[in-house]
Amino acid sequence: MSPLEKRAWLTLWSQCPPYLVYFLIQGVWPNWLATFQQRIACLAVVAGVHAIAYVTGLLWMKRQERGEPLLLDERDRAIDGRATRTAYFVMLTGMIVVGVVMPFSDSGWKLTNTALLAIVLAETVRYALIVAGYRRTPRLAH
Amino acid sequence: MPTESLTNEVRLLRFLAQDMTQAELGRRVGLTRQTIAAIEQGRYSPSLEVAFRIADVFGKRLDEVFHWNPDGTAAPDRER
Repeated sequence: MSPLEKRAWLTLWSQCPPYLVYFLIQGVWPNWLATFQQRIACLAVVAGVHAIAYVTGLLWMKRQERGEPLLLDERDRAIDGRATRTAYFVMLTGMIVVGVVMPFSDSGWKLTNTALLAIVLAETVRYALIVAGYRRTPRLAH
Repeated sequence: MPTESLTNEVRLLRFLAQDMTQAELGRRVGLTRQTIAAIEQGRYSPSLEVAFRIADVFGKRLDEVFHWNPDGTAAPDRER
């Protein structure tokens, strides 16, 4: 498995579960976290779990690679480039919604959570497309 | 809709070059082993520069290693 594909899997596995739980709590039980401190604490826990899972996975991966540098060739860069281009438009759409549309009707945590959702979605799309690029592309040209 | 395909002889040429490994070929042309495998399986079309480098490793011309089939048919038999 390519080092880039490994890192994409690591990002997906470390990022998606905690943020899925976070957005479920925010979406299904919005009043469960009543105060500002509780909401910030919930966000901090989720970000912390993500960070710890990612760093732990990265350290384990580095140990497996025995300190070899991350070498990416033209195919890796082509797959990453395509995935990043698509994720950029997901992020752009999210930011238009958050910065241009929502301020007329919403405020506070709703804006914060929608912005966070756009970032997480864009990252998820990017890494999912990287994984798909290595597995499903019938013929990827340089 | 016409189907087009680019085929190659990289696997055969590796075998003829004293069973050169994918990793060794990759190291010599600046690609990873995974990308060499993808090229051999027809899942990736390399850049022109890399295609020339691969041909150069085996001491062949570009058209002896990579074959362009405009109508999607198999590459014609060549004298080897």
